[in-house]
Amino acid sequence: MENGGSPKEWRFGGNKGLTHASAVTVRGVINKLMEKLNADDTRPVIPLAQGDPSAFPSFRTTTFAEDAVCAAVRSANFNGYSSTVGIPSGRRAVAEYLSKDLPYKLSADDVFLTIGCTQALETVITVLARPGANILLPRPGFPYYEARAGFSGLEFRHFDLLPEKDWEVDLAGVEALSDENTVAMVIINPGNPCGNVFKYQHLKKVAETAKKLGILVISDEVYDHLTFGSSPFVPMGVFGSIVPVITLGSISKRWVVPGWRLGWLVTNDPDGILMKQGIVDSIKGYVDITSDPVTFMQGALAQILEDTPSDFFEGIVSLLKECAETCYERTSEIPCLTCPCKPEGSMFAMVKLNLSLLEGIEDDLDFCCKLAKEESVLILPGTIQSSFATYCII
Amino acid sequence: MDCGRRVQEMEAPNNITIKGMLGLLSDAADEGGKKLISLGIGDPTAYSCFYTCSAAQQPLLNALNSRNFNGYSPTVGLPQTRMAVADYLSRGLPYTLHSNDVYVTNGCTQAIEITLSILARPGANILLPRPGFPIYGLCAAFRHLEARYFDLLPEKQWEVDLRAVQHLADHNTVAIVIINPGNPCGNVYSFQHLKEIAETAKRLGIVVIADEVYGHLSFGENPWVSMGVFGSVGPVITLGSLSKRWLVPGWRLGWLVINDPDATLKTPKFVERLNKYCDICGGAATFIQAAVPAIIEGTQEVFFRKTINILKQTSDICYQKIKGIACIKCPCKPQGSMAFMVKLNVCMLKDISDDIDFCFKLAKEESVIILPGIVVGLKNWLRITFAVEPSALHEALRRLNSFCQRHSC
Repeated sequence: MENGGSPKEWRFGGNKGLTHASAVTVRGVINKLMEKLNADDTRPVIPLAQGDPSAFPSFRTTTFAEDAVCAAVRSANFNGYSSTVGIPSGRRAVAEYLSKDLPYKLSADDVFLTIGCTQALETVITVLARPGANILLPRPGFPYYEARAGFSGLEFRHFDLLPEKDWEVDLAGVEALSDENTVAMVIINPGNPCGNVFKYQHLKKVAETAKKLGILVISDEVYDHLTFGSSPFVPMGVFGSIVPVITLGSISKRWVVPGWRLGWLVTNDPDGILMKQGIVDSIKGYVDITSDPVTFMQGALAQILEDTPSDFFEGIVSLLKECAETCYERTSEIPCLTCPCKPEGSMFAMVKLNLSLLEGIEDDLDFCCKLAKEESVLILPGTIQSSFATYCII
Repeated sequence: MDCGRRVQEMEAPNNITIKGMLGLLSDAADEGGKKLISLGIGDPTAYSCFYTCSAAQQPLLNALNSRNFNGYSPTVGLPQTRMAVADYLSRGLPYTLHSNDVYVTNGCTQAIEITLSILARPGANILLPRPGFPIYGLCAAFRHLEARYFDLLPEKQWEVDLRAVQHLADHNTVAIVIINPGNPCGNVYSFQHLKEIAETAKRLGIVVIADEVYGHLSFGENPWVSMGVFGSVGPVITLGSLSKRWLVPGWRLGWLVINDPDATLKTPKFVERLNKYCDICGGAATFIQAAVPAIIEGTQEVFFRKTINILKQTSDICYQKIKGIACIKCPCKPQGSMAFMVKLNVCMLKDISDDIDFCFKLAKEESVIILPGIVVGLKNWLRITFAVEPSALHEALRRLNSFCQRHSC
């Protein structure tokens, strides 16, 4: 039905800035792999590509968490909007939870509740982006940082994690990369995708390096406490008085509930540098205009963080340990795969693919596509950063 | 102060949100001794007469307890949720939406954010209503999208000033935002007016972004019509959520829907970019998404009726009481949504300089919160929410009246 004829041209289009930025995300690549799956294969698909074991019965979350959320829903006290920074009881609960492992006490005002760690990441990247600035990201790393930075117009530069040194940060590389426009560096600990856990001494050196360069440290601790090797988990906030640290985290991994979408962005900054530099105000300004996590989830948070018994956590960690060992041992038996470092934490391991031992496989992406098609197994190619192939150890 | 001069409308301040202003007013109110009554926010859940139904709560608990929905959902939303929303919205349209046209978001707020992010490009501008909802302007600024404001005309039931729209638009304009039922004005546009908007947008080659978060919440003369009805005139992006109709803004379940039966906007490239942007957002909680089909299916008309009846009643109370206050004038009786705009005649008040001053003094002296109109784009107007329990509303309006009398010249 025509009304007055078509305009000369339609003036809208998509946002081109999104094309590169989101060209490579974990979800995007997984979707591509899933398209390759053979519909005639009756075997169950085995998903080893995403950090989400919630579908496996042995990784069920604790009834303590479920009960807390049910109670919050039934109370009908949390059907309304929350404050944009998060409800006070939720913020307090996260401050207390994280302070247990720090040499100082966080206040509720240091905590911003977010829609999972994803929104915490979105917030910190958006807030730091200004024309000409750059951020240092680990390689291999988590591609959402690149995607968000690209979208926000924040230049990113990669420093290496060194497989021959348990995936430690190449600190000399960090110094060489940084300049007067560098604003921050990101570390992911426990590591995604490498499955490493940084030692106390190394984290201290990272803090000292960052301080020397005048940049803040963003510590992605979404896999916090999920360690099963020789190195215990040390939160980067421990070094908050050396350098300001912004910690990103959530209940998604430790409680195995990534679908609940509840995370946090926390400023570890006993010397108030982030406040003075205007970062805190920018964070508040951004959360003021963006959406918030579900209110009743925030309402349940205190109970979830305080009441979950330690044997639930121990159970998850020992299961991850068992899976990690199985993965490591089995991949050692496969000639074309090498795992340079046995995983010590998180849910992943990085494994190197020796293409010369394979026929008809061009690269890691090709390997993963064919594996999906022929064996209904999903593994993530390391194409994103390097010529490693990643897989998850669940 | 020259009261003879026509009060100039000002641009909305670009650094305050509704919640931000209401927070400041609440702090001011703490100093008073009376019980705080807020006529400030479009969130009625503080009042016991506005509570959601078991047809919503039970499916939510079932989904949670099933333990099947603790994992990530696809970033565009669960397929069953997309299908349920497509069916639900199609009921009011002359064509059927496909589930792929539906993107599930973390409330309508996230739907706004995604829409603006998707349409932004260097040099682009977007047309926003004044008065309007400040998140649009704030979000546009963040996405480097220039905001240009067109007026809504109080003397014409807050209709869009279409001549101004045509004047404002240029080759860089990408979209126009329409909020219907209206926030903050409480208007409901006629079929004819929506058609005119659609035709204007088509002539200009721009998308209509139809914010229908208050969809179906109309109780006046005009039945509510979804802008998507005109999807074949030109593409419409409809934004909505469960928040207002089901009284659960805290559940953060919204949607962004492409109404574009002729696929003008919905090119493969556009869809790909939209899907990829969703990939880098944190979305709606999976189990809440999973409950949506049962929620939509199971909610009875009697629940919706009840909410509308209360809103009609409370909007009437507001309208009648405001008539009795000399320094406040209501140009149009509210027809829908949860709030309406009234004009403040500052000249009739001694020692009150403007709407902000009025609202802070009212908060301090009477513990009543009303939003100063400047936050939504109209200085020396007030936005009053009527989604309030009737007895609290009577008390708040009584105090408002008393305040105005005390301060009158």
